Amino acid sequence: MLWRKMWRDMAENKIAYIACTIVIAIGLMTYTSMSMSKDHLFAAKDEFYRHYHFADGFAKVKAMPLSKAKAIKDMEGVDRVNGRLVKEVRVLIPSSDSEDVYLRLISFDETLPHRLNDVELLQGSFPQKNSRQILLADKFLKAHSLGLSDQIDVVIDGKQVGLTVSGSGQSPEYVYALKEAQAIAPDPRTFEVAYLPYEDMEMLFGQKQMVNDVVFTLKPGVKFADVEAKLKSTLKPYQLEALYGANDQLSNAMLSEELKQLEKMAKSMPILFLGVAAIILYIMLKRLVESQRGQIGTLKAFGYRNVEIILHYLSYGLLIGLVGGILGGVLGTALSGLMIDLYQSYFSLPNLAAGFSPEYFLYSLIISTLCSLFASYQGVKGVLGLQPAEAMRPPIPVFTKKNMLENLPGFWQIFTMQGRMALRNATRNKGRSFFTFIGIVFTFSMMACFFSIGNMASEMIMDQFTQVQKQDVKLSFSAPLPRRQAVRELQHVQGVHRVEPMVEVPVSLQFLNHQEDVVALGISNNANLYQVFDKQGERVQIPRTGLMLSVQVAEQLQVKAGDVLEMDSIWAKEKMKVKVERIVPQYIGANVYMNQDTLLGLLKQGDLATSVLLTIDSKQLVPFKDQYSTSKFVGNLEIRQEMIEKYEQLLASSTYTLWIMGVISVITGFAIVYNSSIISLAERKRELASLRVMGMTPREVMEIISVEQWFLGFFGILAGIPIALTMNQVLAKGMSSDLYTLPGTISPEAILQAVLGTIFAIWISQQWVSRKVQKLDLVEVLKERE
Amino acid sequence: MNAIIRVKGISKVYQMGEVRVEALKEVSFEINQGEFIVVLGPSGSGKSTMMNLIGGMDTVSSGEVYYKGQPLHQATEKVLTEYRRHAVGFVFQFYNLMPNLTAYENVQMAVQIAKDPLNVKEVLAQVGLADRADHFPAQLSGGQQQRVAVARAIAKNPDLLLCDEPTGALDFATGVQMLKLLKEFSVQYKKTVMIITHNAGIAEMADRVFYMKDGRLENITVHPHPVPPEEVVW
Repeated sequence: MLWRKMWRDMAENKIAYIACTIVIAIGLMTYTSMSMSKDHLFAAKDEFYRHYHFADGFAKVKAMPLSKAKAIKDMEGVDRVNGRLVKEVRVLIPSSDSEDVYLRLISFDETLPHRLNDVELLQGSFPQKNSRQILLADKFLKAHSLGLSDQIDVVIDGKQVGLTVSGSGQSPEYVYALKEAQAIAPDPRTFEVAYLPYEDMEMLFGQKQMVNDVVFTLKPGVKFADVEAKLKSTLKPYQLEALYGANDQLSNAMLSEELKQLEKMAKSMPILFLGVAAIILYIMLKRLVESQRGQIGTLKAFGYRNVEIILHYLSYGLLIGLVGGILGGVLGTALSGLMIDLYQSYFSLPNLAAGFSPEYFLYSLIISTLCSLFASYQGVKGVLGLQPAEAMRPPIPVFTKKNMLENLPGFWQIFTMQGRMALRNATRNKGRSFFTFIGIVFTFSMMACFFSIGNMASEMIMDQFTQVQKQDVKLSFSAPLPRRQAVRELQHVQGVHRVEPMVEVPVSLQFLNHQEDVVALGISNNANLYQVFDKQGERVQIPRTGLMLSVQVAEQLQVKAGDVLEMDSIWAKEKMKVKVERIVPQYIGANVYMNQDTLLGLLKQGDLATSVLLTIDSKQLVPFKDQYSTSKFVGNLEIRQEMIEKYEQLLASSTYTLWIMGVISVITGFAIVYNSSIISLAERKRELASLRVMGMTPREVMEIISVEQWFLGFFGILAGIPIALTMNQVLAKGMSSDLYTLPGTISPEAILQAVLGTIFAIWISQQWVSRKVQKLDLVEVLKERE
Repeated sequence: MNAIIRVKGISKVYQMGEVRVEALKEVSFEINQGEFIVVLGPSGSGKSTMMNLIGGMDTVSSGEVYYKGQPLHQATEKVLTEYRRHAVGFVFQFYNLMPNLTAYENVQMAVQIAKDPLNVKEVLAQVGLADRADHFPAQLSGGQQQRVAVARAIAKNPDLLLCDEPTGALDFATGVQMLKLLKEFSVQYKKTVMIITHNAGIAEMADRVFYMKDGRLENITVHPHPVPPEEVVW
């Protein structure tokens, strides 16, 4: 019988209960989808890494004999070693004439039984020796709609070479195939890897029995740091360019970072939503119990036990928890499928597949049920103390005082009677007002954050390409070139206005026991095309001596301006001492800056440049590109406009996600505001009906509820601003990595969007409530005396 | 005297699940401007249903209702709202005051939607609550609350004042005071007052008494010389 009562009670307020269920479901949907995706990603990654022998350490040198590379195997702690030739080449693909396409060619030794960073064959076969065959990364094959036996032309040392596609595959080394750390997302159209037999590579590049890349695994229990110093000295004679462990391997670092964030989000997001749902449920059931005092009294008078009555009201929470949990689990499973699809477009994990995890489904059920039961118990425990006779009497109204606002001269007069009722309600019903207020704060700040992520990302990119890097073209040399000569030659090319040399050197910085490997940028005197700005957007001059650090690097090293660091570089003969002059923000990348002449002076390698920045007439851009992109001195040619477009495309796809999050915030806001309106409405049915009887229109009556909410909404938004700022900073910090830093600022646009979103959430919920007001049965309401 | 309300053969049927309840059966009458009418009848006789129909709170199942010649039986909710807003004042048995508005504000609230309202302070003085204007309902006694309710109804200056058991929740002395107020309003402003009650004693002060029974208007008694409220006993 009590079940039937429950159904009817719920049916009366179905929207409110549905809204609450939706909030629970959203929370659990985020939980299950993120957890499931995370598990599948972890499983796919671990399996792929293990099965295809992902290396523990990576080293790049200029060139070294293969035999010397193999000899590293004998070093203490090292398990297996592969020496490889790794070379980046430009691909001539007719279909993509506007953008440069690069392949990183990696040699493999087909005689080795357990190759490190081995390739999982996905199509075709491995290339045959001496047959000019190539195995392409699967994504590259697909991005260019290539088939087996198709031929692609690459440029090696300025010569065009044709290679036949023998198959496609994927290696754990390039799960997230970025050309360089500065790239934000993989773009298989313009960069991927490909594999050739070692014999073919050594012949094509004229490097007989030489390698330039060493990968190795470590014996169990040995850490990368244990062998690092020894390897460094062993490899130094071969012009060591980089040496890092698996943690710093670009693809692995990105994948791990993503997984870490996913794990963090999977834990924090549901708490937010479940917390909100619990509060809604608590308030709703408390209200229900209060409005049913008479019924509770009657039940008690009949001889129902407290336990039975409590159980009855707990079953409301139980039902909502169960439905929300199941719904969340089902939606989460579906969403995890979509998320996996999305991840697959960035992370090439061949065995990554969506699947159902009963354990998270079960967890989500348990969490939501416990959460709902807890909230409902808190809401109904007041029943216990009631005596039957007392319970049957209505609670005593306590409106006997005016509030502080009324004493503000002039303030009170601007409100109509409905407005005054609303304000008194808001100030007297403190618990519920607080709940609505918190709900609005939450809705607003969530929206502001979601909208600002988009803005932050575009600010980050626009900052990089309109303020910091102003060049039209960046030409990176395949090996350092004499500085003056390179600049002089390029200055004479038709259409070129300005040429600035750059020196980019990988360095290792050490301060006390903190160490960080970064790229030092040597900026020329009077540089115009690469500029550095401080937090306020003021241009910063590169100091004549000493280092300027980006904030991230400074944080990693825990240094401040004035500290003296030890700097080591594979270019330098010995370690150097440098002083930190200044710390500046940097959004893309994490670098240190130095005056170019000073840096070259320290390195004692002569007058060299690793790249140049230049501005050029837009008409001359295409001929310039044709001329230089095939040059053997040019490693990479980057056109600013293309970079901006690429980033903008990337942003467009993430906008979609942000919209979804925005909609979720609106739904949550709606659920909260709607619920508190419904409660207000139920509590004041009689009052409102009396007003209707007196001849007020539904609109005028609605004003009582709406003014209260606009009032709370106004303060909710005000209070939401600082909270959004804080949340945003935390979010920016959480999302930032060594590769990029999100500026933790909220633009006025994001605030405005969030204000509009919040207003929309309040407005839409009032439209629903307003329908209820119109449907108030005047005769019925006035007849009953609660 | 002009008929302010004309009722022709109205019936009201409630369909409650499978049960059909005929709350009002073929009732017809006219009420004139300035009349003081008492409707008597036991519970369930259709008094309240009739008042709801006249007051524009509910619509008839059949029959016709006119207010100053304007048909109410086929009016839209919007028209009915306008009607209640400008033509009718209600006094309820349980006052139905806004608990979070002061006495003054309760009256003010009604006044702000009226076309030609009376002065709030004067009306409150008239009901003897000038010194309590700033109190909230919870700070007033039952009789005082009912007086606020009456003040609220008459301050709108409606043509028709409908009172559902206005003395039902009051003691005798306070009840008499209430009736006096209503009578004064009727006389002073030439307004029509209709009181619903099952208290036969009150009937003595009416110009006409409607006797309701079993959904029908059984009888109408005319009092050429109604008793003043002070002399009414029950």
